[in-house]
Amino acid sequence: MLTDREVLSTLQMLRSEHLDVRTVTLGVSLFDCSSHDSKRFEENIYRKILGLARHLVAVCDEVGDRYGIPVVNKRIAVSPIAVAGAPCSAEEMVGVARTLDRAAQEVHIDFIGGFSALVEKGFASGDRALIEAIPEALSCTERVCASVNAASTAAGINMDGVALMGKTIVRAARKTASADGLACAKLGVFANIPQDVPFMAGAYLGVGEPDAVINVGVSGPGVVRNAIDRARRADPSLDLGRLSELIKRTAFKVTRVGELIGAEVAARLGVPFGVVDLSLAPTPNVGDSVGEIFQSLGLENIGVPGSTAVLAMLNDAVKKGGAFASSNVGGFSGAFIPVSEDLNISEAARMGFLSIEKLEALTSVCSVGLDMVALPGDTPAETISAIIADEMAIGVINRKTTAARLIPVPGKKAGDKAFFGGLLGEATIIPLRSMNSSGDFIRLGGRIPAPLQGLRN
Amino acid sequence: MEKFVLSILGTDRPGIVAAVSRVLADLCCNVEDVSQTILQDEFVGIVIASVPDAISADVLRAGMGKALDSLRLHVAVKKLEKSGPPRPRPVCEPFVIVTTGPDKVGLVAGVTEVLADFGVNITQLKAAFRGGDDPHRNTMIYEVDVPVETDQQAFRERLRGKAAELDLELSLQHRDIFEAVHRI
Repeated sequence: MLTDREVLSTLQMLRSEHLDVRTVTLGVSLFDCSSHDSKRFEENIYRKILGLARHLVAVCDEVGDRYGIPVVNKRIAVSPIAVAGAPCSAEEMVGVARTLDRAAQEVHIDFIGGFSALVEKGFASGDRALIEAIPEALSCTERVCASVNAASTAAGINMDGVALMGKTIVRAARKTASADGLACAKLGVFANIPQDVPFMAGAYLGVGEPDAVINVGVSGPGVVRNAIDRARRADPSLDLGRLSELIKRTAFKVTRVGELIGAEVAARLGVPFGVVDLSLAPTPNVGDSVGEIFQSLGLENIGVPGSTAVLAMLNDAVKKGGAFASSNVGGFSGAFIPVSEDLNISEAARMGFLSIEKLEALTSVCSVGLDMVALPGDTPAETISAIIADEMAIGVINRKTTAARLIPVPGKKAGDKAFFGGLLGEATIIPLRSMNSSGDFIRLGGRIPAPLQGLRN
Repeated sequence: MEKFVLSILGTDRPGIVAAVSRVLADLCCNVEDVSQTILQDEFVGIVIASVPDAISADVLRAGMGKALDSLRLHVAVKKLEKSGPPRPRPVCEPFVIVTTGPDKVGLVAGVTEVLADFGVNITQLKAAFRGGDDPHRNTMIYEVDVPVETDQQAFRERLRGKAAELDLELSLQHRDIFEAVHRI
């Protein structure tokens, strides 16, 4: 016998608070597809993806219907192409991207991640070829997402890689100038990238993962925000300790949804269940915002003094609740602050409450990084690299994941709007105070050595 | 010993179960199973009791009547027939149907007609919210057993169609989701 409260509060979360499973991501290993012949490699990839993912969307929808919880996105994450396709040239890498795109369309998923390289310690030939191919690959395909891991606490920061990625981002933006630099919205540069992230653009299937795996990304910023609002209305004397507890319990509930759905999808597909990534991931829909949570906790807007403390509390409470709710937690698992994908955050940036310096501070306590940040179109590659370097340093020193998904919007300047569409939303371009001051530093190149934090034995 | 089932109906107040069980005890009957519900101000209870052979249904009724009339309770007594082999029941899965919408005649009849057509049995049914300030928010919760052989698609569509006819919002979800979210 269920209680009224159990039934009604669950329905409330679903109907008015945007509770859903944000993504079910099928990881597909492509290491057994490798070949010196890139055409053969492409055929093998295509066949393997179709073989494993043919029923993904249908199964997700069936399981979603059964429990009344929609699975909003179905995605695929493959092995890092720079490794699986190491013999490929840059041109051949573009061909591989096209094949991945074709496969994604065939199985009706919206994004396929894994066009990736891991260069935290240095470049192998496949890495160079992939990185060179990124601008073309991301402009001639729709659904492919790319990521490059340029730093880790164990290896330090590959500053040559960071320099190269600044240039790559500029090239990618130019190639998609008519779409406001859209290619860059599908590209992330990472420090300490997790190998089982179900969210894009960082999703890839790492070495050491099984041949196929289901990873789930839950969401629910609206649920958290509504829980806080209701509680504060009922008891205005609630302090941060008790609010933190409330967020933790809410995160538990949201994560349980992901666990249940993910496990059943995995079982029906005959594939192991990997992890639940319990990140609070917003969308441009009204009421589905992380930024609003800041307001519910007494800040006028995200970005004002107090924001870093709030985000630290939020991120931690979400992790605690989620960890108890799931047998296996992984991916990012925290709060996202994507500037374009969250109406409220986007507005806060537009109104000037959220500067790039504050965004950077926030990334030291949240789970992703500088995400979907639109920059002036004439930002030099070295400055982009320097922004990335700062992010890498925060991640490396603090033994956490950080990332940069930066979009220099060709032809537009600070204050202008960029439109990416769909889940990627739209963003106001953020001003940069010192556009031309970091070139000499970036040109030094080399590797910033691993910090002492990396010596943990 | 024979088994009897008694149903008790009346305005709720302290002392009802005490009065009924006193009569049963005085007649050497053993209460084997009991359940009660209070709806608005009315008490409804069911008792299954094992009764010595010497006591007939009439004797039970008379005993109840004497003790309970002053409490204005109606009691119905029925002997449970010896059951034969248990009726084969199909393997079922537990689902929860919630309907929300303005109250009017025919809501329960309409929804349950679809359930009956598909051989779906209701295990628990209640009005969770009687509208209060907002007559459009009348909510009913049906916990049901759906045979695994049921055509889920057809069942869902029939329910949806019926809900549209009755101007109701309707959800159909497997029960596990509610337990997963709220219970450890």
